[in-house]
Amino acid sequence: MSVLNVKHLGPAAYGPVLARQTELVGRVLERPEEAYLLLVEHDPPVITLGRRGGEADVLASRERLAELGVEVHESSRGGEVTYHGPGQLVGYPILHLDRHGRTVRGHVKNIEQVLIDTLDEFGIPAHRKDPAEELTGVWTGSQPHSGEAKIAAIGVAVRRWVSYHGWALNVNTDLSHFDLIVPCGIRDKGVTSMARQLGGEQDIAAVADTLVRRFAAMYRFESVADE
Amino acid sequence: MNPETLRYSEQHEYAGVEGNTATCGITDYAQGSLGDITFVELPDVGKELKKGEEACAIESAKAASSVYAPVSGKIVAVNEALEDDPAPVNDDPYGDGWIFKIEMADASEAEQLMDAAAYDAIEKE
Repeated sequence: MSVLNVKHLGPAAYGPVLARQTELVGRVLERPEEAYLLLVEHDPPVITLGRRGGEADVLASRERLAELGVEVHESSRGGEVTYHGPGQLVGYPILHLDRHGRTVRGHVKNIEQVLIDTLDEFGIPAHRKDPAEELTGVWTGSQPHSGEAKIAAIGVAVRRWVSYHGWALNVNTDLSHFDLIVPCGIRDKGVTSMARQLGGEQDIAAVADTLVRRFAAMYRFESVADE
Repeated sequence: MNPETLRYSEQHEYAGVEGNTATCGITDYAQGSLGDITFVELPDVGKELKKGEEACAIESAKAASSVYAPVSGKIVAVNEALEDDPAPVNDDPYGDGWIFKIEMADASEAEQLMDAAAYDAIEKE
């Protein structure tokens, strides 16, 4: 019986949640049959630098960030620089890839699909990009202005075939905070949120419920234990 | 290197042993799992590692995967060409895609790793 243990952490700072992830990675290494999904809105807001993240992609000065109450953290996930803050639904699935998804490539693709399926339920058409473009994440046409924009970012890490870190879906995110960075090292593409696409604030708990259901279906969990 | 003569870790690293030096990389199975590799974060030359410790990381499509030292010892060389072009890790994992060389602290550790037949068996599980 495969159970997905979902932990709704609510608003929480980055550091303690990272510690929680590390602890759960250790747990899953010992008990590969266990799987977890942490859902969190990072508060205070935080800029994280992935393995390839450089200080050059943080545009705001440390003083300005301190004024705004934005933390800066290095992270062992893939990718470059990103922003997390209130109104953004961050998901950290911690599972053993031997049991779920098998490949790292498949895991990232599955996460993309879970996000696309979730957005579709809310009436937002979203898509992934051609892998050759190296623009992993989930994109949508950005009304009211033209062109496409990133609505969710993905950055995972794998330790002994246990994956951690995950995704960040902009639900009601204050998008002006993305001006503090060069998101994912991409200078010429914008970011958007569900609220912007749908023209109003969304119920983040409803989005979380849909994400959990879609995630459990994608990874074929037989049941979900909510905490 | 001939994959038949290499030794393998459970974490899908290989070690090609010549004298006291092990040339290490990730297996064909591992590169297939990762997908197109976009970045290899090489270890520092001179770094001392114990068997199973994280040596470096490989990034593919926004996933950073840790690579572990299959044997204990000191990093004596790294494949700097991968910094400019990581493609050989996908295309030629046992040749131009080697990642680092370890001067082994204890050569008997290599013998404890799996041989090709044993590794093939776990890969097919």
